[in-house]
Amino acid sequence: MAVYAGIDLGSRSVKLALLNEKEELELHKFDTISFYRKYGKLTNGQLKVEFEKLGLKKEFDFLVSTGYGWQVINVQRVSGSKNIPEIKAHIYGAVFLTGLVDFTLLDLGGQDSKVAKVRNKTLIDFETNDRCAASTGRYLENMAVVLGISLEELSCYYENPVELSSTCAIFGETELIGKLVEGNSIAELAAGVNYTIFRRIKPLLLKLLSPVIVFTGGVAHNQAIKKIIERELNVKVVVPDNPQYAGAIGCAVSAKQEYLKDI
Amino acid sequence: MIEMQKKVGITTTVPIEVIYAANMVPVDLNNLFIKSDEPQKLIEEAELRGYPRNICAWIKGIYAVMLKQRDIDTLIVVTQGDCSNTHALMETLELEGIRVIPFAYSFDRDYDLLKLQLDKLICALGTTWEAVKKVKAQLDEVREIVWKLDELTWRENCISGWDNHLYQVSCSDFNGNPEKFKQTVEEYILNVDKKQELKNSLRLGYIGVPPIFCDLYQYLEARGARVVYNEVQRQFTMPFDTKDIVEQYRLYTYPYGIFYRLKDIKEQIKLRKLDGIIHYVQSFCYRQIEDLIIRREIELPIITLEGDRPGKLDARTKMRIDAFLEMLR
Repeated sequence: MAVYAGIDLGSRSVKLALLNEKEELELHKFDTISFYRKYGKLTNGQLKVEFEKLGLKKEFDFLVSTGYGWQVINVQRVSGSKNIPEIKAHIYGAVFLTGLVDFTLLDLGGQDSKVAKVRNKTLIDFETNDRCAASTGRYLENMAVVLGISLEELSCYYENPVELSSTCAIFGETELIGKLVEGNSIAELAAGVNYTIFRRIKPLLLKLLSPVIVFTGGVAHNQAIKKIIERELNVKVVVPDNPQYAGAIGCAVSAKQEYLKDI
Repeated sequence: MIEMQKKVGITTTVPIEVIYAANMVPVDLNNLFIKSDEPQKLIEEAELRGYPRNICAWIKGIYAVMLKQRDIDTLIVVTQGDCSNTHALMETLELEGIRVIPFAYSFDRDYDLLKLQLDKLICALGTTWEAVKKVKAQLDEVREIVWKLDELTWRENCISGWDNHLYQVSCSDFNGNPEKFKQTVEEYILNVDKKQELKNSLRLGYIGVPPIFCDLYQYLEARGARVVYNEVQRQFTMPFDTKDIVEQYRLYTYPYGIFYRLKDIKEQIKLRKLDGIIHYVQSFCYRQIEDLIIRREIELPIITLEGDRPGKLDARTKMRIDAFLEMLR
């Protein structure tokens, strides 16, 4: 049975999705730095990934890659391989995972945010965050550490948010500590942090709004942000299973198309 | 013995006819900065001298390159029609003993005010209207050849976006030697293979100040998209049919408001049959605000690229370009 592989070389983690003919998925995640250190080797300007070392049981027939890494490096041919732009990969993934064809994609990853308007499975327009890590997973991670709570706990709070004016992922810490000293509860502070994310992405979403938003990327695990978007924008927010794998899954879907095209 | 001609620094396009008529040589400091071996170092130098980190890199580059250029002691600075950062640039250079001659484009493209400014510039450099008119006729001959190069880019499709950028952008000072520049362009055009049509599926327009990235055009072409319209660079070639120098600098769009620029951009979008627009903005530049006007006024798909420091395109910008090209297809 043919197996198609998709690999998303993200800023925080590398995601690998294997898709078979029955449309069954197998998902793997690796820390980005150790992935490159252990399995990647640059040969003639191309990234050669030593897939045999990853301990995968299956061989695959076609590989499609995307992500920050691929700009600088090409994944060396397995049997057949290709790179696709990140936004395209995420849209393929979102369509595969939700079965929707018209929606606005919101992808909040480790270091960037993307919003794309999709009609009939095709990209119509898109926006990305400006050169800043606020409104990304990195910001949430930092804030959870400051508050001394887990990311899971952080994602529970959305009522009575504390107003946080600084949107900088680094300076936000200082402001948060100040608010903590003023006597605000952890719940109110955590809600404030989640609202900060919403405020950063709100202009992007408003420009490209649809009645349904498909929310992907690691930050999509945050239930509070999902609820805030639904409440504030009066839209339906769909978070697929394994939202952080949407890019890798989209690549695997693309790999299948490429493989079948070649036959 | 040939006497060394005096060099005059410029920070953006000014009526260089006056400089040449005064038997002086204009030096576009932007080109000097970006073509230097290590433009990054120049920015660092400006910052070490106290320029803030969050200020336009072009301003810092011009400042540092000017301080290094010991053979230039005079600078013409545009005080209306460029940005307010230029004012502080002028002042910080004045502090270092540089002679500064201000030049102001009239805000509402008023003919008489512009004529008066030209008059003052002519006086400041010690030349005459007659000499200026003569130089204009000479420079127009050079410009005509560059217009042809531009036409070969979009009509005949045999010139790359980078070459189109490079030759047009050089018209701000003609590299200090119009005659030699003319020869270079003529030779270039002669050697262009006119039968070899460049096969790029997407035709792009580039609007905004010239990019601080060094590999944008090449990156686009490697992905099957070519810039066939460089807005501001083309303006540097003064593509206007007029013998009147005041009128020429009144028709020149760059120093005037965005709506006047948009008129020109819209015409060219139609003429050149563009598929999409790249709006380049410099980090910390007031023109970033005008992006919202451009997006409202232009109906083609637009990608806004922001550049800060000189160098290659960063991974994030590449990702955005890829998605944009994908969308246009």
